[in-house]
Order: sequence, then C-alpha cells, then structure tokens
Amino acid sequence: MKRLPIQKRTLAMFAVIIPLFVLFVYVALRSGPLAPVSVTLATVETYDITPTLFGIGTVEARYTYKIGPTFAGRVNHVNVNVGDSVKAGQELGGMDPVDIDERIRAQDAALKRAKAQLDEARARLYFAQTQAQRYEKLFALRATSEELAATRRQELQVAEAGLNAAREEVARIRSEQEALIAQRDNLRLISPVDGLVVARDADPGTTIVAGQAVVELIDPESLWVNVHFDQIHARGLAADLPAQIVLRSQKGETGAAGHVLWIEPLADAVTEETLAKVVFDQLPEPLPPIGELAEVNVDLPALPPGPVLPNAAIQRIKSKLSSKLGVWQVKNGELQFTPVSLGTSDLDGRIQVREGLKAGDQVVVYSAKALNTHTRIRVVEHLPGVKQ
Amino acid sequence: MADKGIRIEGLKKRYGKGDTAVDALKGVDMQVASGEVVGLIGPSGSGKSTLLKCLGAVIEPTAGRMILGDEVIYDGGWKVKDLRALRRDKIGFIFQAPYLIPFLDVTDNVALLPMLAGVPNREARKQALELFKALDVENRAKAMPSQLSGGEQQRVAIARGLVNRPPVILADEPTAPLDSERALAVIRILNEMARQFETAIIVVTHDEKIIPTFKRIYHIRDGVTYEEAGQGRDF
Amino acid sequence: MISLAGRDIMHAWGKFVFTGMGLGLLIGITLSMAGIYRGMVDDGKALLDNSGADLWVVQKDTLGPYAEPSSIFDDAWRGILGMPGVARAANVTYLTMQVRQGERDVRTLVTGVTPGGPGTPGWPPYLVAGRQITRGHYEAVADIATGFALGDRLQIRRNHYIVVGLTRRMVSSGGDPMVFIPLKDAQEAQFLKDNDAIRQQRRRTAANPAFNRPQVPDLLNAVIASQSTNAYVNAVLVQIEAGHDANEVAESIRRWKRLTVYTRSQMEEILIGKLIATSARQIFMFLVILSIVSAAIVAFIIYTLTLGKIREIAVLKLIGTKNRTIVSLIMQQSIALGLIGFVVGKITATLVMAPIFPKYVLLEPLDSLIGFGAVVVICILASIIAIRAALRVDPAEAIGG
Repeated sequence: MKRLPIQKRTLAMFAVIIPLFVLFVYVALRSGPLAPVSVTLATVETYDITPTLFGIGTVEARYTYKIGPTFAGRVNHVNVNVGDSVKAGQELGGMDPVDIDERIRAQDAALKRAKAQLDEARARLYFAQTQAQRYEKLFALRATSEELAATRRQELQVAEAGLNAAREEVARIRSEQEALIAQRDNLRLISPVDGLVVARDADPGTTIVAGQAVVELIDPESLWVNVHFDQIHARGLAADLPAQIVLRSQKGETGAAGHVLWIEPLADAVTEETLAKVVFDQLPEPLPPIGELAEVNVDLPALPPGPVLPNAAIQRIKSKLSSKLGVWQVKNGELQFTPVSLGTSDLDGRIQVREGLKAGDQVVVYSAKALNTHTRIRVVEHLPGVKQ
Repeated sequence: MADKGIRIEGLKKRYGKGDTAVDALKGVDMQVASGEVVGLIGPSGSGKSTLLKCLGAVIEPTAGRMILGDEVIYDGGWKVKDLRALRRDKIGFIFQAPYLIPFLDVTDNVALLPMLAGVPNREARKQALELFKALDVENRAKAMPSQLSGGEQQRVAIARGLVNRPPVILADEPTAPLDSERALAVIRILNEMARQFETAIIVVTHDEKIIPTFKRIYHIRDGVTYEEAGQGRDF
Repeated sequence: MISLAGRDIMHAWGKFVFTGMGLGLLIGITLSMAGIYRGMVDDGKALLDNSGADLWVVQKDTLGPYAEPSSIFDDAWRGILGMPGVARAANVTYLTMQVRQGERDVRTLVTGVTPGGPGTPGWPPYLVAGRQITRGHYEAVADIATGFALGDRLQIRRNHYIVVGLTRRMVSSGGDPMVFIPLKDAQEAQFLKDNDAIRQQRRRTAANPAFNRPQVPDLLNAVIASQSTNAYVNAVLVQIEAGHDANEVAESIRRWKRLTVYTRSQMEEILIGKLIATSARQIFMFLVILSIVSAAIVAFIIYTLTLGKIREIAVLKLIGTKNRTIVSLIMQQSIALGLIGFVVGKITATLVMAPIFPKYVLLEPLDSLIGFGAVVVICILASIIAIRAALRVDPAEAIGG
C-alpha cells in the first residue's frame, strides 16, 4: 500500500523551489564578502626602459632689457609700443630735458664773452709787447730810464698771464657746454640691441625714479622654458638631454623638440623642485607668449634591458612586523606576496624590478578588491565592469 | 447487544440563564443498539441539532445520562476527561456535506483519524484502504477530495466516520445533497456498515426519500423524543 | 503522523510561493536597508583603508581631514618624518568637488597624493585598469564609480587631467568616488582661486598704496607672488615603523609638533560615530518600521489563510485533533512563508537591489543570519493572532443546523 512518492504537483513545486534554493546558495556564497575576488595577471617582461622626466614650466626670455633714465625725471615721449621690433641704436623715447637747452644757450653766451675777453687779453698782450720792445730799444740807447723799461716788461708779463687765463676760461666754458649736451643726449632712451618691446611701463608725463624702466625689451631669439621638476622625479636630469615641449595652447599635440640647456644649481627649497632651463631647437612660429605654461618631457638614455612590470601591480603590505613593497603572485591557486626591490620607471607606468622577480613570472596586476593571503581569487581576462 | 450501542436517559439541555433561559432538550430518552440504523426526525428548532451536539460531546448537556457502549460518559457531568479522544475513538461523524480536508488526499483524509490516535502512518493508511474496498472507492484512494464526485466524497466521509471503529456514528443529514438513488445507496451502505462493523448509527434527517427505510425512528419535537416503528422498507 | 502544514502548503503551493515572493520583496528592502547602513560604515572604513595610513596628522584641535576642514603647512611632513617610529609621512589633500568631463560633471572627492610611486600613503592601493600616476602633473586615477574611462580628459578647476588608471571602492565617507591627482595640482585646485578672483585680487593689491610704491617698483610683484602661494595641505598621512606602538608615536607628535594626531581607531570613531551618526539612526528607524510592516503583513496573510480554513479546523477539532497540532499547523505555515520570503528577499537584495542603489550596499553574511532569525521570530509572533482565532473555533460549527 505504498504511495507513489512523487506526484505531478510535487514535481512542479520542486521545479520552483529547487532553483530558488540553488539561486539562494549561489547568492549567499558567490556575492558579497564571501565571493571570490576577480584578478587579472600580467607577465614580467624584459624591456629596455626609457625613463622620462616630466616637468612643468613657463616660457621666459633669457635676456630682458629694462630701458629707463639714469636719474629721476619726467618722461617726455615714448616712440614705441608693445610688440614693436626695434633695432640697436633706435631711440625708444626721451625724458623731459627741463632747462638743459637754456643752460646750454647760457653757456654759449658765456663762451662768446670769454672769447671776447681772450681777444681783449690778446690785444693787451700785443700792445704790451710793442711797448716793451720800444722801451727796450730806448733803454738800450739810454733814451729812457731803467725804471720805465722795467715797468713795461712787467706789463708784458701781466698781459701774457691775462691771455692764459682768458684761454683757460674759454676751455672751461666749452667743456661745461659739452657736459650739458652729453646730459641732454642721455635723456634719450636708446635700444642697446635688436629686440622686441614687451612692456611700456610709463607714458609721457610720468615722473619716474632713476633706474625705473620705461620700456622693457626682450631678445626673441633667447626664449627658453624655465622648468620645475619634482625632486623625487629628477634623478638623471642633465644638460643636453633631448626634451619635448608642449605648450598649454597646443595641448594634445606632440610638442616642439628642444633640449636641456642647464640645470640650475639652486633648487627651490619651498616647493621641493629642481629648476632647469630647456631651450627650443627651433623657435615656434609665432612666438609663444612669455609666461605661457609648458609641459616638458625629458628623455633619459635607455637603460639596459631588464625585467619590468606594470606599476599597477605594486602594493604595500603591512603586517605587525614589517611593511614591504611587493607584488601578489598566484601559486597553486593561492595568493602569495613576493617582496620586490624596484628600479627606475618610465612615464607609461613600467617599472624595473631589481630583485624578487625574473622575466616570465606571472603577477597579479589588477584586482577588484584589496588582497590578502586568505582571499579566494578567480583569475579572469578582464575585470567585470571595466570598460574596454 | 443491548449493552453495546448508545443509550440516553432523561437528557436535558438549557441554553442561557434566568428569564431568558431556553430549554432545548427537555428529557430525551434514546437507545440504539450496535448494528442498528435509526432515524432522528424533527422540524427545525425541535432540538435536533442540540441533541446531536450533546451526543457528539461537543456541548455539555445540563442533566441526564449518556452511556456509550458499556461506558457512562455523562451523568449530570462529563465522566470522561479527554473529550477530544472520546470524539476521535468512540464517535464517528458523517456530515451533511462531506467536509473532507481539501489539502489531504482521500486516503490521508481517512487515515488522519487513526494517525491522530497514534497509529503509524502505514498502518493507518492500510485501515483506510480496507474501508475503501468495502465502500468501493479504492480506485480513488490517491485522488484529492476536489476530484471526487459528490457520492464518492460522501462515501469517503463515511469511511472517515468508520475508520476508528466507533461504537456509534452520528450522521447529520448525510443524504441532503444527493438525488434519491444515491441517497438510498448511502442508506444501504450505512446499513451494511452498521452490520459489518457492529456500530450504532443515528441518522438525523428530514429527507422524505429515506425516512421509509428506517426500522425505527425517533421523532423529536419541542425537546422531547417519541419513538415509533418505521416502515423498514427495503432499499 | 503526517505534516498537516506541509500538506496544506503543497496543496496551494502556487499561492503560497507567490505570497512568499511578495513578502520576499519587502524583506529584500529590509535587508538592503541594513546593507546600506553597513555600506555607509564600510565607506568610512574604505576611506581609512585606502589612505594606507596608521596616523593622521591634522591642524591642531580639528577633527580633520574628513569630518572638519584642516590645513597645515606642506613642509610639516619633514619634521614629522624625523620623529622616532615614523616610517613614511606623506602630504595629502582632500576636496569634494564637481569634476567635469565633457558635458557632464561628477561629484567626487579629489585627493592630492604626494609623488613617490605605488605604496606611498594616500595612493590608491590597487587598480582595476590602467596604471598609477607617473607624471607629477595633470594625470588622474579615478574610481570606476565615477563612470570615467581610461584616456578621458577631466577638468578640475583650471587644468585638464588625463585618466590613466581606474580603481574601485575608493570613496569618501559620504560615498562620493575619489579621483587621485598629483599633490601640487590638488593644492592649486584647493587653494588657488579662479582667474577672476586672481585678477581682482591683483587689482586690489595694486590699488593699495602700501604695496604699490613708485620708489620700490618690484614690491607689487613680490606681494602678488606671495599672495598666490599655496603652501598648505589638509593632512599628513603617517605610516609607523614596524614594532612601534601607534599611540606612542601619535603622542610624541602631539607633544613635540603641537599638531593633532588621530590613530586608526580614533579616526573610525570620528567617521562612524560622528560623521554618519544621523544617517545611521535614520536607516535604523527605517529598519524598525520595515520590520513592523513585515510583521503586520505576515500576520495578516496568516490570519487570512487561517480564516479560509475555519471549517476544516472545526472538522479537525471535531474528529479529535489536538490543539497543539492545530497551533503547529499555523505556525509552521507562517515560518514556511517567512523562509520563502527570506530566500526571495536575500536573492532580490543581492541580485536586484544592491546593484541599482546609488550608494554602496554591503550585505554581510552575519546580517543575513540575524535577518533570518528576525524573520522566524516575526513569523512566530505574527501567527499568534491567527492561532488565537483558530483555537476559538468551536468544533460544534462542523455540525450543521
């Protein structure tokens, strides 16, 4: 009298309940904290790394000329505007001469007067000479007294001295006049070089102090980039290394070729940066504005080939006793942490391994979660959810 | 045979108290022997249902005596502690509608009673199947109640009433939903079963079709029973 | 004896399973609520884990850098590095801001990390794609939740950044995904003003006769240059040498550097105890309300099911079924309903709700176990009303008339 163990109804019920239960077990074990962590593997490759340094700089001019007067005064005229190209010797502007012209004219008159006095002295001397000769002859004939003849001799000497004084006075006044003219020339602001006007700091009528610039010139041939490299990334930086300069206005393009001119011996202690000057091999046309931001990649010489791995694989593991950099490796389906010693890296994220791994070793590169030795893992080609 | 079956003496039942009290049963005397099928007939409100509930140990009478088999179950008070077990073991019920448990199949509907009494499942089902053979429904033993016809359901219900071999079976309008042919068939089965399993069967009915079949009939009116001989006609 | 409850459920299992599924959705939401709370706590912990720090050195008397603003000089790390027990110290800046990418912008926590390579405190500890930052400027590693892809150009303030790497679960305590950029750029982004503000500041300075003196022509430039420096960071992350006690190292930095220092446990206390306390209470209220609603629904369903079986129960009673059997019939059904609900709820919470919620939903196995226990208890309690109704059924009802 045994009942049939399974009826149709029971079958239908199991058809619903069992998948539900299986799904439940799957959900309980395969999702959430108990689920295995997806990881992807990468192989350590032998690769000759070309390390590249990356720095940020601004375009600057190597030579800047600040043209201004040597003494305080008022600006009279400025002949050039920003952007003008100027030649060496060209007058850029002038200062107000105030009374110099008048003083030159006064010196002119004084000179004439001095010349007249010179003529007068000369005439006196001539007369004194004639008198002296006549009285010498008369005295020789004893036609006059010795006292009179001596008087005439003394008058001649006085006239000679008067002539000398008048001659020196003329020279003095002439020199003074020349000094004033030189001063007047000094009020003109003359370009010392062929260059480009980059600033016009004062306009006519402005009073400025001695040494303050009226016009600033640069030598456009001397543009360079003043680059800051973070000290941590500056190892190997040296003069003459090739560089690519990407201006902010050309972002996304390859950039212009250049090279490192020199490394500044003084680093920036506050920003912890090393400074270097990088020059263009060929100046870009049109010239970049001074102060434009530029990104500079400096290529270091390629290193001898060695094992490299992606920098994404590197992790720091902390335990009670130690804290090490290393990578995760999968051995017999279990995770194992391998400490490594690292060398140089390049900008594409490859990093050289000095110790700990050899070419051909497999390491975990990406993981969906932080790993530890007890993590259950599942090796996949691509992590789920990552757009390819 | 007289000491088997059921005997009732001066059974009274009063509902309520004081002025509003209603005497539903005013002194009922009845005796049904094993193997006998008697009719209990009365109009609505005559006390028929009250008598049935008292017999079924569902409500407590107010006074009188009830003797089931050779056991006094009521004498001015219940003489049996476990009325549930009494109902399960000593009284069989057959209702107007079959009232089968819809979520149990036919076998388990019947086997449930011995199971409740502690009989192992296999044994209980065996007992049920024996009854199905007697009642000619063994081919439907694995069906659910909803798959049976009315007559089959009623036969299963009868099996349920019989399965614990109670000394008395109370049948409450067992033929009401049936046509006369099936109704007579039910009566015939009840008679056969009464004989075969030596049980007393009280059939409460007002079905004109079956009244002539009883050999003995109790009329109940205003809480009092009157015994009369039935026609005892053949079915 | 056969299981009456089992037979009843099997008889109407379709109805039963569908009811259970409905209940399951509700339980799923309840589990998700707990998951959201756990997610918030985990966000906070993830932030601390990701920084890789043992100690956080911040501005004196602030709760920085996450819960309060903090700024300290960016050369403070040198002094800290010299303290005994300090293995590594690195500057870090945090700034929550909108990061633009093309047409859209994403709310992110922009983190400035000290150059130095993987493993430096503050760096993303692991990636899911791409590489770590190698240039000192204008590169970014973004959390995958930002929706950025490798090679995308981001705009942060005035500068453009190329996404070179993607990581995962790098979030602020508020759940905003992080974007890692080099420290110098981040300092600019945080402290440098926009161009208009810079120009206005220059004009204002130039108009001040104290700074713009004709006798000293370069003074103005010097003043302007000094105004645009940004020698501040938000915190210094410190890793301590193995074998040193974090509290001792923290105490010596506090004492000698006169800066505020937090250890990992103090930081957790700040993030979880202070930063997300209100949100956590709110979630907890939701949990309580949902539990009550679930209980009410289970009670109602079981009550309705029981009322539908009143006549059967009367018959069962009449034929001598014990009350215990009837109680267990109802209670077993209630628990079975709860079980189906829990299974469905767990599945929906994990497969449907957790992925679509904008915030991180962390479904802890222990929470699920507690939830399971709660469901069973709630179902037992909810069946009490139905049990009372069933026990009140009079077996006499089975007898007609």
